[in-house]
Amino acid sequence: MDRKDGGVTVLPPYTASTEMKWYTGTASAIFQNLNYLYQYDPDYVLILSGDHIYKMNYELMLDHHIKKAADVSISVIQVPWEEANRFGILNTDKELRVTEFDEKPKNPKSNLASMGIYIFNWKVLEEYLQKDNLNANSSHDFGKDILPLMLEDQKNLIAYPFKGYWKDVGTVQSLWEANMDLLEDSNELNLFDQNWRIYSVNPNQPPQFISKEAILTDSLVNEGCTVYGSVSRTVVFQGVTIESDAVVKESVIMPDAVIGKGCYIEKAIVSSGIIVPDGSIIRPKNDGEILLVSEETLEEMATN
Amino acid sequence: MNKRLLGVIDATTYEENLKDLTLHRSLAAIPFAGRYRLIDFVLSNMVNSGIQSVAIFPKYEYRSLMDHLGSGKNWDLNRKRDGLFFFPSPRLDKPVFGIDSFEHFAANIDFLNRSTQEYCLISSANTIFNMDFYPLLDWHLDEGCDITEVRHDGKSLDIYLVKTTLLLELIHTRTETGYLNMKDVVTDINSPYRLCYYPYKGYALTVDSVSNYYSASMELLKPEIWDQLFLRDRPILTKVKDEPPTRYTKSAVVHNSMIANGASIEGTVENSIIARGVKIAKGAIVRNSIIMQKTQIGSNCVLDHVILDKDVKVESGVKLVGTNENPQILRKGSLAKGECVNS
Repeated sequence: MDRKDGGVTVLPPYTASTEMKWYTGTASAIFQNLNYLYQYDPDYVLILSGDHIYKMNYELMLDHHIKKAADVSISVIQVPWEEANRFGILNTDKELRVTEFDEKPKNPKSNLASMGIYIFNWKVLEEYLQKDNLNANSSHDFGKDILPLMLEDQKNLIAYPFKGYWKDVGTVQSLWEANMDLLEDSNELNLFDQNWRIYSVNPNQPPQFISKEAILTDSLVNEGCTVYGSVSRTVVFQGVTIESDAVVKESVIMPDAVIGKGCYIEKAIVSSGIIVPDGSIIRPKNDGEILLVSEETLEEMATN
Repeated sequence: MNKRLLGVIDATTYEENLKDLTLHRSLAAIPFAGRYRLIDFVLSNMVNSGIQSVAIFPKYEYRSLMDHLGSGKNWDLNRKRDGLFFFPSPRLDKPVFGIDSFEHFAANIDFLNRSTQEYCLISSANTIFNMDFYPLLDWHLDEGCDITEVRHDGKSLDIYLVKTTLLLELIHTRTETGYLNMKDVVTDINSPYRLCYYPYKGYALTVDSVSNYYSASMELLKPEIWDQLFLRDRPILTKVKDEPPTRYTKSAVVHNSMIANGASIEGTVENSIIARGVKIAKGAIVRNSIIMQKTQIGSNCVLDHVILDKDVKVESGVKLVGTNENPQILRKGSLAKGECVNS
């Protein structure tokens, strides 16, 4: 993506001459960078979130968008009816035209949840970002402000039904669940598909070393790890060390963490670079809880 | 010292004994330790020692070497000034002038003429080691040497440090002196140059046969060897592949092994080196073996003391057993089914 034309550009919030402009909502982040968009003057703009896990060919969505002559397309996924009350639900007609937004409905009329993935016609996007900016009561959010306003104005909002794995990992719990999902044989998000690789930073570390005493099952382990202890149903990032007699179960161990000798860790996410002292016992007190292990939680443990 | 050393890697070494592993690649490109090629060691050492300009002189079957090194990006050698240079031999016939052939260097003399680095480090490509070349240059200067040969346990590692101007002189005067390569110079007791031997004390092993390739691989499983090769602050760099993590299923049993990314392990693996993207099916047992990239091992196979090159397919239930002295090798892309092996 380091191309002569285009490529990736990171656009952090910036300090204007008058004030520090934080991004107050998803739409405000785009609005404040309108100049970047003017520079490219595209036909369509694809808007995505960085904290979702899925594999999707956006070209197919764009084809759908063009075919339906949409002003905006919203990617949707069918969620289980009993969970529909946790999502932003879209009600549509037979032609997939959006008729109503239903945020976390008590009595859902549809089970199509918005995935927070949008394709806008550029001119329409520009118009509504400008409009939204003038509205002092707006929270400058696509889902809450921009799209409902467009619906009110009878613009053509089209749902694009996506099939496959999709997960929003905005919380510790959902991040843990998404990692555990990877361990299921039936997992739809196939990381091993050579034709649809998930690209990342490659830390270029040596292969994993699994010692004589190690027990390692039902897990994903990345490069640069050394495993002396027992690991099951766990996702281990690069450069992690799991010392002898340590037991790690149903957990996520982030890069370069060290799990000391004789530790017992269950249902936890251990943050990057954390050194868990020998003999630590870390597991949630309550059912269904997931522990986040950081410098702070370790300090708390040490003082208790 | 970064600006003062020029790296020259001679990748022309050929060993008949390793022919099963060098059918489609040069010796320098033989896979090692699950994710590396032999050349990665010397190249990473050079880069970690601050060398910013490296010339590689290959001769035979260098396609895979070029594919592996690419623009040099993974070694931070994709530079506007200096960087990675590739100088294949202009002749493929075999009047062998040995490695570090002055003839081969002479064909690319413009590169040496244009280089601004005062000293030149010349090395072969098939030694496994993690060496810092800073102390070597300091030592060479302190001792006032013309040519320093790096030795390990009293044996030459085919690594030489010379002033770039002296290397140019050796190349220009090769017809008069009769020196065809660096070895000729350092083995001539009447040579007019002050020759020094620098004793390298760390781990080093020059791969020149199947048996020492195999034993070097098995030695990687000893933490005391591993710790000398893979250092956080002096990493061995290689071509990266965006592989996912390795997946171990419920049925996996793994002990004392080195396993690269993107593999899928459902069977039993002991005392083995498993490369990127290898698949080992349920019930398969792999012991004391080296399995290279993307090779697939079917269910209930038994493999002991084997070296499987890249893209080998072993069908279910196959038994392959070699020995410590004579590990069984399956060539790249071969298929093993029942009792027969098509390689």
